[in-house]
Amino acid sequence: MNTKSYFFQSFAIVALAFVAFIGFKQILPDKIFPDSKVDSKNVLIDSLLLESVANDSLSQKGDSLSESEKQEAGEKITFNPAEGIEFPSETFDNYKGFQYLISFYEKLYQLEKNPQSKVRIAYYGDSMTDGDLIVQDVRSNYQERFGGNGVGFVSITSESAASRGSVKSTYSKNWKTLSYLNVKNPISPFGVNGHVFFANDKVNTTWVQYEAGLNKNVNTLDNPTLFYGRANKKGNVNFIIGKDTLRKSLVPNNLINTLKVSSGSIKAFKANFIHADSIPIYGFNFDNGIGVHVDNFSQRGNSGLPISMFNANVMQGFNNNLKYDLIILHYGTNVLNYGTKNYSWYQRGMTKAVNKIKESFPGVSILIISTADKSTKYDLEMKTDSAVVPLMKAQKRYALDTESGFVNLYTLMGGDGSMVKWVDESPAKANKDYTHFNQRGAKAIGKLLYDQLNKGYEQYKVLRQNRDTNGSKPKAVRKTKTDSVSVKKDSVNE
Amino acid sequence: MITIDSINNWFVQNFGEITLEQAKSWFIYNPEEKLLFNTGLFLGLFLVFYFVYAFLRKTFYLRLTYVILFSLFFYYKSSGIYFLLLLLSSVVDYGLSQIIYKATKDSTKKIYLVISVILNLGLLGYFKYMNFMIVTFNDMFHGNYQLHDVFLPVGISFYTFQSMSYIIEIYREEIKPTKNYIEYLFFVSFFPQLVAGPIVRAKDFLPQIYQKLNLTKQDVNNALFLIIGGLIKKTVISNYISINFVDRVFDTPMNYTSFENLMASYGYAIQIYCDFSGYSDMAIGIALLLGFKLPANFRTPYKSTSITDFWRRWHISLSTWLKDFLYISIGGNREGTFAGFLFPSLFFFGLLLWGISNVAESYIPLGIAIGAIVLFSLTFLLSKKKHQTLVTNFNLFTTMLLGGLWHGAGAQFIVWGALHGLALAVHKIFMEFFPSKKEGKGPNFLWRFFSILITFHFVVFCWIFFRARDFETAIQVINNIGQLTFEPEHWQAIVIGYKNVFLLMLFGYVWHFLPEVITSKMKFVFDKTPLIGKAIILGFVYWIVYATAVAGSQPFIYFQF
Repeated sequence: MNTKSYFFQSFAIVALAFVAFIGFKQILPDKIFPDSKVDSKNVLIDSLLLESVANDSLSQKGDSLSESEKQEAGEKITFNPAEGIEFPSETFDNYKGFQYLISFYEKLYQLEKNPQSKVRIAYYGDSMTDGDLIVQDVRSNYQERFGGNGVGFVSITSESAASRGSVKSTYSKNWKTLSYLNVKNPISPFGVNGHVFFANDKVNTTWVQYEAGLNKNVNTLDNPTLFYGRANKKGNVNFIIGKDTLRKSLVPNNLINTLKVSSGSIKAFKANFIHADSIPIYGFNFDNGIGVHVDNFSQRGNSGLPISMFNANVMQGFNNNLKYDLIILHYGTNVLNYGTKNYSWYQRGMTKAVNKIKESFPGVSILIISTADKSTKYDLEMKTDSAVVPLMKAQKRYALDTESGFVNLYTLMGGDGSMVKWVDESPAKANKDYTHFNQRGAKAIGKLLYDQLNKGYEQYKVLRQNRDTNGSKPKAVRKTKTDSVSVKKDSVNE
Repeated sequence: MITIDSINNWFVQNFGEITLEQAKSWFIYNPEEKLLFNTGLFLGLFLVFYFVYAFLRKTFYLRLTYVILFSLFFYYKSSGIYFLLLLLSSVVDYGLSQIIYKATKDSTKKIYLVISVILNLGLLGYFKYMNFMIVTFNDMFHGNYQLHDVFLPVGISFYTFQSMSYIIEIYREEIKPTKNYIEYLFFVSFFPQLVAGPIVRAKDFLPQIYQKLNLTKQDVNNALFLIIGGLIKKTVISNYISINFVDRVFDTPMNYTSFENLMASYGYAIQIYCDFSGYSDMAIGIALLLGFKLPANFRTPYKSTSITDFWRRWHISLSTWLKDFLYISIGGNREGTFAGFLFPSLFFFGLLLWGISNVAESYIPLGIAIGAIVLFSLTFLLSKKKHQTLVTNFNLFTTMLLGGLWHGAGAQFIVWGALHGLALAVHKIFMEFFPSKKEGKGPNFLWRFFSILITFHFVVFCWIFFRARDFETAIQVINNIGQLTFEPEHWQAIVIGYKNVFLLMLFGYVWHFLPEVITSKMKFVFDKTPLIGKAIILGFVYWIVYATAVAGSQPFIYFQF
């Protein structure tokens, strides 16, 4: 063998290897790593979703994307006037449904006129809003403009408590937690946050501690108030504020009971629960009673479907205390990964969930926020997941069907391929899972959401003024479609 | 019968239709698609390049020019128009080096050396540190300076250092300058090590230019073995675990469990090693295929028994460069200089300020600051040769601080460098009190085991700062790991959830800690494999790289226990 120069042999190896590669590519499978199915025992995912997906795979023949989609996009949507106000007609493609937010907008308007009144928003979401991401930005945008102090309703325990900056909460490990995510028949009904907690450790104290965050408008805990449910036995709770201990008793007579920790603003407190083993505990509310308050009810792994398990009576009990004006449902991330593009099952399930919201919070405006863009690797490139657009359309469909407002987060953030941009941008605005936003991105999303809602509000004010100058009388009840649940749209819900 | 059509069909089936647009895109700079060694495009281009190169092996200037042109094209594909910057800086450096060589007076030599160092560091400073300095200034003095829209040319940190080594070695009369600019440009632009090292020293490389080009069978064996290992380390292990696990945890550490944070830290340690050493190995292997021997850059660094040992095994070309040109230049272990005292003093002063400014919230930062200063002082106060140790430790600390900053513009890199500098000083004083027994057999197995374990964990701890996006995130990761409790069932569920990631991590670590006997056995078997067998092995590795690249990323999962 020629030991002097081995160049051509060397070239031959590299070139032959290329040929071998072509051969291997043809005979070997495409994927080296099997897409492992994760045992869902310890993974947070809601059980209703898993059931729906299982049923769907039995009934569906395939992903049939109907031809009528093109017609659907141009479908004209006109609104019946409510309170003498009628937003201009829209197409399905650009559907926003400001018309259905009129009662919320009217409350905002009243607040603007009278800064002593209040407006409350419940923001339901999944891991996208974990740690108060997005919601804290929506909240601060509203409080900046309309006033209001406090983070709103906060659960006892949460798997994302550590990552939340707007309020710091720590808790003992012995809380018994039931979540609507994976429990079907709770001992006591779920609270407005979809959870119910029990302090049933008889040996060690069960405690929770809250400390205000640092940001403006949430840097104090205002009028902290405990929410708990009905039980047969009474219990006690010790509130420790600084060096003082206040002992108070829990009287669980009503479906929903409240207990004020202290009036005014404090920085931090701890609550030790004593002999409260059977009393359903829901959480604490922090608000100063005026301005806008936004509650974050985020739950990782939630598809939104579990909302249909809410007990309407209990929710009405919460609503009597908290008086909601807008319910936001921000879901979708958790239903993207099931290899289906037909979301009729999800549309049906979520319609049920929205109707449950209507039953629970009568007359309250509802806003549906669609899935954001999410990328998946196709061959060598990260692209918008093919399930994103079908899901977004299904979400728009149930928003329209249930007469809810709609935010198309997918187009709002840039549409096709936008998640790749948000991840690759410097500084990055989304995480490397190509699904979740980081702090910076969440702030941008919060602003986009607020801006769309506010655009509708400004438009509402113009329409309202036109109505008043034209002298047309407000109608108390607007016409209702026969195929949807009829709801009274009173301007002020008492 | 084979017709042109059938060949065409086969081609289209395997490679897809190739349009004129696509063919054009192979030669035009695209910031989205850098020309890395592990891409198909590089393989294709290299095959064509290499074929011609083999024919040119007996020529000299023709061959050099040919390689230079390919190198410039390679750099253009990575950095676009900035290949002109490479050319410009090489012209200036070459001119200065000629002046230094020809000058007779020492003072003249020195002046031109200083000019060249300022120019080179100025260039690096502008592109790499300008915005960092502006942000720091704005933060400290509430300034409001606009950031510059600077593009960081790929590999500027590497070729600037390489260029500087040439000039300093001429100044120190360790080498003679090249005969002309072409030879010099060949050295600076040599594409295998151009963008990510190893930082080749002029005195190691230049003599090879003038030797008769030779490539033995053994060289090719070594080269292929390195390339195969490098490809697997970089594209399979490093890329997969970073995108599917490590990046996610470091993005939002508080959303993950303590165990996941701990594993992400171990994961990052093997990821950065595989990424960096894998790319180095490919560079060394490709250079070897061209007939040039570059020095080894990594020697299984996590097997180090001390932090001093670690720096003899980790990124060797950088640590020797820093030792020879920075540490020695500021006085080494001989004398203290202004520069040697300046940076550590600034650092400790800044640390103290940070501690004091946080006193309102917590005493821990102040405690850390005072603790670090006391610890650093003890490393020379306890020494028998106080003055010499003081000088050495200050110079060492300076080297590590600036070495940290070389890796990137950011406070976390300074902290990373400082931790290593402190550890080196502590290890020095430790060795003074407990000198290792040199005579006879080495330390016993248990001692060795614990030394490796402790060194490894210290290094992993420092990597947390290196990887985290900012200081705050690093603290979150550390705090989260601090809350780890022993819950084997939970750990098992997590490991199963990220099965592929953990298998690759395990594979990476097992490979790293394999006794050398086994690696050399593997090498021996590979050497004995016939030519066609090697081609098949290499082809299989190409396939693994391809299959990993097309593997979809794992959907996110959240665990609940």
